[in-house]
Amino acid sequence: MMKHYFEQLENGLKSAIDGGKASPRKHYSLEIARLGKRLYSGEDRVAWCGITTPFDLLNAMDITSCFVEFIGAMLASTGVAGDFIEEADQIGYSSDSCSYHRAVMGAAVKGMMPTPEFLIGTTSPCSGGLAVLENLAHRFAKPLFVLHVPQDESGKNVRYLADQIRNMARFVSDATGASLDSGRLRAAMEHTNRARDIMTEVYDLAKQVPSPVTGKDLSNFGIVMALFLGTEAAERIARAYLEEFRRRAEAASRNASGEKFRLLWIQNRIQFKNPLESMLADDFQATVVIDELNDITWEPIDTDNIYEGLAKRSISIPFNGAIENRVTHLQKLAREYRIDGAINPCNWGCRQGTGSRGLIEDGLRQIGVPVLNLEVDCIDSRKFTEGQFKTRIEAFFEMADAKKGNVY
Amino acid sequence: MEKTKWIGFACSYTPLAVIHAAGFTPYRVLPDDKSPDQAGRILHDNLCPHVKRILDRAAAGNLPELEAMLIMNSCDAMRRLYDAWQKTCPQIPAILVDLPVTSSQNAIDFFRDQLERVTGVLENLGDTGINPERIENSIALYNEMAGYFSQLREKNRRGGMKNGAVVLQGLYNRASVEPPEEMIAELAGLLSEPDENLSSDALPVYLFGNVLTDPAAFSLFESCGARIIAEDMCTGSRLFTEIPLEATGDFLADYAGGLLGRRPCARTFDASEPGLLGRVIVEAAKHNGACGVIGYTVKFCDPYVARLPEIRDALKHEGLPFLFLEGDCTMNTIGQQKTRIEAFIEMLR
Repeated sequence: MMKHYFEQLENGLKSAIDGGKASPRKHYSLEIARLGKRLYSGEDRVAWCGITTPFDLLNAMDITSCFVEFIGAMLASTGVAGDFIEEADQIGYSSDSCSYHRAVMGAAVKGMMPTPEFLIGTTSPCSGGLAVLENLAHRFAKPLFVLHVPQDESGKNVRYLADQIRNMARFVSDATGASLDSGRLRAAMEHTNRARDIMTEVYDLAKQVPSPVTGKDLSNFGIVMALFLGTEAAERIARAYLEEFRRRAEAASRNASGEKFRLLWIQNRIQFKNPLESMLADDFQATVVIDELNDITWEPIDTDNIYEGLAKRSISIPFNGAIENRVTHLQKLAREYRIDGAINPCNWGCRQGTGSRGLIEDGLRQIGVPVLNLEVDCIDSRKFTEGQFKTRIEAFFEMADAKKGNVY
Repeated sequence: MEKTKWIGFACSYTPLAVIHAAGFTPYRVLPDDKSPDQAGRILHDNLCPHVKRILDRAAAGNLPELEAMLIMNSCDAMRRLYDAWQKTCPQIPAILVDLPVTSSQNAIDFFRDQLERVTGVLENLGDTGINPERIENSIALYNEMAGYFSQLREKNRRGGMKNGAVVLQGLYNRASVEPPEEMIAELAGLLSEPDENLSSDALPVYLFGNVLTDPAAFSLFESCGARIIAEDMCTGSRLFTEIPLEATGDFLADYAGGLLGRRPCARTFDASEPGLLGRVIVEAAKHNGACGVIGYTVKFCDPYVARLPEIRDALKHEGLPFLFLEGDCTMNTIGQQKTRIEAFIEMLR
């Protein structure tokens, strides 16, 4: 069923692109469809992983890999997550835990997760994700490797993680028989670095006032792009955005802008269909110009020291380490993108993200950026209360409007 | 008399012997309900009540004069405690210690380096240089205390202690905040007392979980007809188990390996044996002759709640009845569970 769904999605997107209806988002979705098709093909060697796994290394070994939260998000976006969450709850998962993970466990129980050849857990960003990978490894009776991502780059931390990644490559070879060719690894890192450069340009364009970004253009972009690193697909997607944003930026310089509020979206988007983004755009002329994870926090991978480069990249993600790193990063984004306000969907069950919302709010308030904390389950649409959100959003923009008026 | 210098801590993976070797007394900041609820201003409602109650104590100044707070990076909630502590209580420096989730050799090496870093920080905080001999002596001291606790647990298991689980929890609480030298003398005295000849129709139950410190909770179990013959709790026996030294000559490496190699709690696991925790609990319950198992965890504890279905399956597979309780680690919520505990014990009969 899933394979069929992804095949149809791929065909539809390909026809649209070939028929002259291309957009960067369609190129991005096309690669997602292709990834989904491979995951469910029954032919590829599949690995379920944690978010900070170096996917480019796995791509260089021809492993079709994916972080499990992607499946939770996909089920939500297609409107079926509720059934899988219910399944997980039936077997004893607490409704207080993250629904990305509950949806994934429910999918595994219902046989909707392809059996992997192996699994890789990562300690960053969260304890819950690691626990799910342990549970999946037990359920599928498949080998599990764990990457302990240190909190920072101090001392021997980078070498420690780099050694683990080397061991991970050996583990993958042992589990699958796939070997890691040094030439292919190097080529994968060259793809990664080129994609990185293009993405940096894309983000720089997004900072312009008015921004070439519209509300949904870059939703989930940074986190999902990690899956395509090390391949031409990453470059292809990034280049499509670059060309489109250049065109829009050029056009914007000639036309009046309807952009009134520039917003920063904290953590992940709400994954199921909901009216928030159109409400923001239509009712308040507000645009999400930057999502927290749409940033390059790492240096190009040194192709002579690949493992160290991958280790530094995993350590660098803003969710890792002390909250000070994350707040500093958010403040940087807010300044660079000239943000008027931030929206933080506090995903119920996310201890890693929601747990620090008070500190994030304080940190952004220090630089004059108001934060709207929304109590929401980003996966389970059954808990979505549109009316309550609308009231809170209206109040937020009334306040932001007054503030803007006072300042300018 | 020399003033006691305390280092606060909150996790059973804390390297107590290193703190002690640096001339400090480890002080476990146990959660209580005597401080006003202020943590909610910083931490979300869905965050671990253990962490929030520790923060409440810090916010209310309901602590002794700590020289520092040593926080293990054991889970998301503890990491958030580190962040929130610095904002709430900046006058007491917080030290974050990164804790691997497995006990592989490179994880042990990493943790050893973390302990070495802590050693340096503590040396700077106090005026006591830490040398290998001091660390060895402190490990030996804590092992001696753990040995006494082990014998007391055995005494309780064979029914030789009146209200054994209640008494043991009181002792664990004190041993978490008092100098080990003083506790050792008291534990030795208790051990020298002859076994009481107790007869009871209470049923032997094994308890596992994380944070439950109030001895009254253990009285409640007893009043419901359960006899806690053994437990594996963060605030119970887990902190006081012996750490064998392998005599490699590197005490920090041995200590790191010993701490990581203890019976795992939910946040630490063996990647080569996924689902091991359930089997460990089954074995412990059977080994101790329990006829049922009670799990108690604080709400929102991801490491435990994520593994509960597997634990439940493992117990069911072995025919061991299981009662799971969630709470806020105080009597405020466990009292409400009395009916469930009574029904569980009735079912076991």
